[in-house]
Amino acid sequence: MSFDTVIELKGLKRLYTVGGEDVKALDGVDLEIGRGEYVSLVGPSGSGKTTLFNMIGGLDRPTGGSVHIDGVDISRLDAYELAWLRCRRIGYIFQNFNLITVLTALENVALPTVFAGTPREEGLRKAGKLLKMVGLGERLNHKPTQLSAGQQQRVAIARALANDPAIILADEPTGNLDLNTGTEIIDILHGLNKNRGLTLVAATHDLKMIKASDRVVWLRDGRVERIE
Amino acid sequence: MEDRRVHLSFSEAFRLGYSHLVRRSGRSALNVASIALGLSFYTSLLLTDVFYQTHAALGGARLNVEQTYYWLVAIALAVSVVGITNAMLISVQERVKEIGTMKCLGALNAHITLLFLIEALLQGLAGGVIGYAVGAAAALLTVGFGTGFDIILKVPLAQTLTLFASSIILATLLSTAATLYPAYRASRLDPVEALRYEL
Repeated sequence: MSFDTVIELKGLKRLYTVGGEDVKALDGVDLEIGRGEYVSLVGPSGSGKTTLFNMIGGLDRPTGGSVHIDGVDISRLDAYELAWLRCRRIGYIFQNFNLITVLTALENVALPTVFAGTPREEGLRKAGKLLKMVGLGERLNHKPTQLSAGQQQRVAIARALANDPAIILADEPTGNLDLNTGTEIIDILHGLNKNRGLTLVAATHDLKMIKASDRVVWLRDGRVERIE
Repeated sequence: MEDRRVHLSFSEAFRLGYSHLVRRSGRSALNVASIALGLSFYTSLLLTDVFYQTHAALGGARLNVEQTYYWLVAIALAVSVVGITNAMLISVQERVKEIGTMKCLGALNAHITLLFLIEALLQGLAGGVIGYAVGAAAALLTVGFGTGFDIILKVPLAQTLTLFASSIILATLLSTAATLYPAYRASRLDPVEALRYEL
């Protein structure tokens, strides 16, 4: 199977200064991820997984090296272009779901379409469709606090898909879920990857997630230790 | 070429701001009360003076509001502003993660500022209306025993309406001014820091 490259990291470095000392969160990472690929980022805590997640997601800027998304060096983007990239090209899924508590499931899923400038009715219709797809068609008007952890994560997945991104970035998506719910979430994500051809990059500890992926990138001390 | 911009229309921002106010109604009510209290003092004083003027114009004795009260009004309004700034800063702190999430979903700094300012605007409007009503009642109670309660029917409508409009505008301005700094702080949050934030 061959992929065209959608994410390309070259000599990626990220330094943090903590209490006057430099900490190398990422120390020269080179990695290419192809379109439609499912990649797991694995490593002990402090290995740079989350930093790498933030870099690919355009949430953080590299100290050295570059991140290319669809061939565009994202350190060259201004605030508006970066917001557009986060809004349209990338869907984020977090360990603790990060739903907006004052909004209903439907409104949460529709929120990215608001920023994309989609007309309200169209955004809501699409959000409803996505929630049905993840099996929450009966829970459209529930607030996040009225949903179980697994349901909240499914809302988050639907939200990540709202603007038809090319890339789904997931940071420990099953980390706060029990085994069964975690498996359901993995199945949904895997299905999206296989059926919709979405590029899926997941930082994870979960063996089931790792097994389902095309490639596993092992990180240690801010470097790629091995890829398999 | 595709339009590479993110958006937040005023009506959507309004909807989001309104959802926040309703869902966190306890805090919103406190902010509204803070503005309403300062404003009621302001309108009661000005209305009292209007009542006195009307009374004098109808041939009654000319009574005056003591000048020192105007100083107290200024201080009361300043206290309202500080209270709201404080409450909004706490509100920003409570919503750090949410702000970070919104930025992940494509919100610009300006969008975050807009959301907070709309909340301030709505709180100001509510505070202004309530403050005016309470102030008018207080003014009537103050002067009523001297001039007769029917004074309220004799006051020129234009004057009360002008005062009503000025109360609303003042309340909105103060509430918005009080929120400028918290809104700025919120908009400048770094999404990485914000998402890692634990309350």
